[in-house]
Amino acid sequence: MNVFWRELRANRKSLIWWCVGMVLMIYAGMAKYAAYATSGTSIADLMKQMPASLSAALGFAGLDVMKASGFYGMLYLYLLLMVAIHAALLGANILAKEERDHTSEFLMVKPASRSRIVTAKLAAAFVNVTVLNLVSLGLSFAVVEQYAAGENMTDEILLLMGAMFIVQLVFLFLGSAIAAVGKRPRSAASLATTVMLVTYVVSIVVDINKNLGFLRYLTPFKYFAAAPVLDRMGYEPVFVVLSALIIVASVVVTYLAYDRRDLKL
Amino acid sequence: MNVIEIHHLTKSYGKARGIVDVSFDVEEGEIFGFIGPNGAGKSTTIRTLLSLIRPTSGSATIFGKDCVKQAPEIAKEIGYLPSEVFYYDKMKVIDLLKYSASFYGKDCTKRIKELAEYMDLDLKRRIDDLSYGNRKKVGIVQGLLHEPKLIILDEPTGGLDPLMQQKFFELLRQENAKGATILLSSHVLDEVQRLCSRVAIIKEGRIIKLEKMSDLTRDNYKKFSVECDAAADARFAVDGVSNLERKGGTVSFLFKGDVDGMVKRLAEVHVRNLWVEEPTLEEIFMHYYTKEE
Repeated sequence: MNVFWRELRANRKSLIWWCVGMVLMIYAGMAKYAAYATSGTSIADLMKQMPASLSAALGFAGLDVMKASGFYGMLYLYLLLMVAIHAALLGANILAKEERDHTSEFLMVKPASRSRIVTAKLAAAFVNVTVLNLVSLGLSFAVVEQYAAGENMTDEILLLMGAMFIVQLVFLFLGSAIAAVGKRPRSAASLATTVMLVTYVVSIVVDINKNLGFLRYLTPFKYFAAAPVLDRMGYEPVFVVLSALIIVASVVVTYLAYDRRDLKL
Repeated sequence: MNVIEIHHLTKSYGKARGIVDVSFDVEEGEIFGFIGPNGAGKSTTIRTLLSLIRPTSGSATIFGKDCVKQAPEIAKEIGYLPSEVFYYDKMKVIDLLKYSASFYGKDCTKRIKELAEYMDLDLKRRIDDLSYGNRKKVGIVQGLLHEPKLIILDEPTGGLDPLMQQKFFELLRQENAKGATILLSSHVLDEVQRLCSRVAIIKEGRIIKLEKMSDLTRDNYKKFSVECDAAADARFAVDGVSNLERKGGTVSFLFKGDVDGMVKRLAEVHVRNLWVEEPTLEEIFMHYYTKEE
């Protein structure tokens, strides 16, 4: 448990800043909605005239952004991007930092198996990711309600934040697997974020070019995009299964690879 | 009883050489020296023993347990001081030491205080405010606070001033007297000579010599220095002689073998002056390192 608490302490400050960032994002985002909503139809027209590629790139394809729920759906993509960066960085760094900062000669000669240390670190990372998700959830309730204009959005918010949590876990464990397998601890975090950003770009490409629809299986950003989730008020089972597979595979790879790893000293 | 047993340990890093077929034992209660220049494979051997890296082939046991499979169990009784000490910069010294102690499941508070006082280490400072020497002191306290049965030190004295080195060696002698076994790797031969009872010499990844310190420095080798004409030098180039060199009017060499034979040889030349000394470890070491080239 000592490693777990140590990791929570070590990540506390960074988590607080991510939460602050989340507060600003949601608050500023929904404040903008207020501006849209009061400006009436002119903005709605403008958005309709926008080419599909642009609306896809900006993240509101298939959403009625004149409704609070639609606008929140658009904002959700940016929240998703933010938490994905957080999760990927955290997952990669929490393992790689011991080698990067040369502290593995301290920690890894202690009477604790590597698996035990990995478990403690992943548990601490899981708590961090959960806290960021709960903060987003709480804040969404608090802020969105103000603009909802009678629209009940409890279920929508819960659905989207649940999806966000799955995506967070996917990137968290992808990050840790990359750190466990990667030869260079210094580049683990940048490699993890690169993978994450590539999947993000793929998700936009899929939006722009409908012929590339099959690519959506490759990008977790598309697994639980706001428009289809809000449309059917649920998740597509195939993507839930796919996410679970990625998470399980990443966790297994993390443990196996880290256990066999020659630590870089 | 052997505390460490290393059997044909090999570690290769792709093309780069690691260690090749390293075998030696460290007995309970001894101070064992592991010497060789930088890059010879000392740290690689130690890191393999500590399971920080995995052997390519061969095996090693510590306390009779397998180094890889039972690493966490073995680690309870090991204190390790790496050659370069790095800790979590933002932690205070005392917090780091308490964190370290928390892994061993026993109360080490008293011991931490004693060691810190002895090594003159301020427990309240932050790690990143410490000089290299002071970080090394943290490493020493950290390595000894759980009173390990086996202490492994990799180039331990770098960064410590001579006074602190003295205190540290005294501390090691005390721990050894209490029953701790010590494996000390170093390229500073003087410190090995002062502390160790046996040594292994490693060169380019292979153990080239394993001997008692007393045998290495006393029984086998003599250092001869002879003041005589240069014309006589060739007479000394016989079996058992190494490091033959002339400086001014004096020729010196290391000799291992029948001393009587050498004395008879000396009788054949005109000797103006003669010294027969115990060689320092440094000289023997140079002998091993130049011999095979």
